[in-house]
Amino acid sequence: MNREEILSKVTEAFVSVLEHSNFELSDETTANDVDGWESVTHMMIISEVEKKFNIKFKLMDLMNMNNVGDLLKTIESEL
Amino acid sequence: MKFVTQLQESIEKHFNENVLCINGVFYTYQDFATEISKIRFAITSSIEESEKLIGLVTNDDLQTYASIIALWLEGKAYVPVNPSSPIERNTKVFELTETKYVIDSSESSIYQDYQVIATRTLKNTDINLVPKETSGDQLAYILFTSGTTGLPKGVPITFNNVQGLVNAIDAEPTFNLESSDRCLQMFELTFDFSVVTYLFPLLAGACMYTIPKGAIKYFYIFKLIKEQRLTVLTMVPSIINYLRPYFSEINAPDVRYCSFGGGALHHDIAKEWSDCLPNCKIFNYYGPTEFTVYSGFYPYHKETATKNHNGIIAIGTPQKDTRYLVVDENNEEVQLEVTGELCLGGPQITPGYWKNDEKNAKSFFTRKENGEEIRYYKTGDLCFKDQDGDFLYVGRADFQVKIRGYRVELAEIEFHAKAKSDKKVNMVAIDVYNKLGNAELGLAIESEEFEIDEVLEYMKTKMPDYMIPAHVRFIPEFPHSINGKINRKELRTHFDIN
Repeated sequence: MNREEILSKVTEAFVSVLEHSNFELSDETTANDVDGWESVTHMMIISEVEKKFNIKFKLMDLMNMNNVGDLLKTIESEL
Repeated sequence: MKFVTQLQESIEKHFNENVLCINGVFYTYQDFATEISKIRFAITSSIEESEKLIGLVTNDDLQTYASIIALWLEGKAYVPVNPSSPIERNTKVFELTETKYVIDSSESSIYQDYQVIATRTLKNTDINLVPKETSGDQLAYILFTSGTTGLPKGVPITFNNVQGLVNAIDAEPTFNLESSDRCLQMFELTFDFSVVTYLFPLLAGACMYTIPKGAIKYFYIFKLIKEQRLTVLTMVPSIINYLRPYFSEINAPDVRYCSFGGGALHHDIAKEWSDCLPNCKIFNYYGPTEFTVYSGFYPYHKETATKNHNGIIAIGTPQKDTRYLVVDENNEEVQLEVTGELCLGGPQITPGYWKNDEKNAKSFFTRKENGEEIRYYKTGDLCFKDQDGDFLYVGRADFQVKIRGYRVELAEIEFHAKAKSDKKVNMVAIDVYNKLGNAELGLAIESEEFEIDEVLEYMKTKMPDYMIPAHVRFIPEFPHSINGKINRKELRTHFDIN
């Protein structure tokens, strides 16, 4: 799976949790840039992403995840 | 006031120790004393003696914590407002309390209609932590919680109330903080649970670790536990619900105490969490804002103390000087093992809701016990007392729910949703549960689908973010029970959020 495909699946996860699509995700996007992305929805997004890619994140990785780029990198390493 | 003098002594005694770690930066008790003194000087030189209720913008910084202590040394109360809440709600709070002065550590304050004390730019002064003589019936703080009429409800707490809390915790031999403790302070200062997470570390000379705004708090808490080796955790149960998928990766032998409050703690998750903290005592605390944070606790232990009702851990027994009473609808005490409404009496009881006689008449009553008039607060929580004298939590008697530990009146959400919508349709707010077992807010609308964004945007200007429905469903016709009431249980099935 290339980065673009990963990003598009990640975007789907965001849309399904946040119930809107008024955002564009890039490597630098953080929770401050997307309406409704905060602590609680983040946990739901993470769990949705795990489901979509059939992977399980490590707490150590999640702890140091600061933007969408970090998320994509971690997914890549798990695939 | 005794506890304010104890705060002075503790701060002076621990000058070289750390008081706070904010976003990775440590501050010592000496830094703290300096900030307190500067703010105190600004208070005494610009606020008249008679002005007692002072607004406080709750930023995550040294100045904000120092402001609370500076106000207490001067015998004044803080009226906290969350900078992320809509300004309209915050100014409503100031209007209700007739607050004229606002202490604000923000770079530029948005409270220009008030007299602002900008604590970022104050001049240095000599350290002065000697408390002023203050009468115990003066207020120490006022917190606002969700109200049913669309207006937030003020809960004033006096210095005597706080002293009652300190006395009760001091009397508890199994909980003793030390100056070497590293304590989690995860709460926003408008949330009453924060009072115990800053007050007790300060009284012990311990260090508090806060959660920066904007951080993903669940992971940040884990990071603090792991990297800073926290020893004392105080949290709402929803934190561990969210961390649960990762429990197998958590092992925190440094944690000595973990206190829960602000929501039902479930037996199964408590046991699993307990396995992550091999050297820890777990306390399940109970208490409403109206009774100064804590009124009692149950000492949970995964093997020897697991008393629960429907999986919800017992709330145990009242703490020192507090009385629990379970009553029926006529405020008469019920028998052992009979469910009724839990009422609380004792020195921690609020003098009453702020300027709200109607609500006070409903929520408080007095009762003669051994020739003494005891005033009780009706919590709205349904409980029963068992044969051992432990109290067990059953559920809520009304339409109040807990979202991330915050109390939310569903009626307040419905009020604001309907206020903006020009369609006169039925709207019902309900709590729905995600797969991790946490409550989220749903809004059910009895109508064909229509554009709802504007309504949600409006609600965001009126209420804090935790009160904004995360899920909206349009249902052509609401289900009703046989007696004609909207069937909330069935409505909930329309919210498949997992």
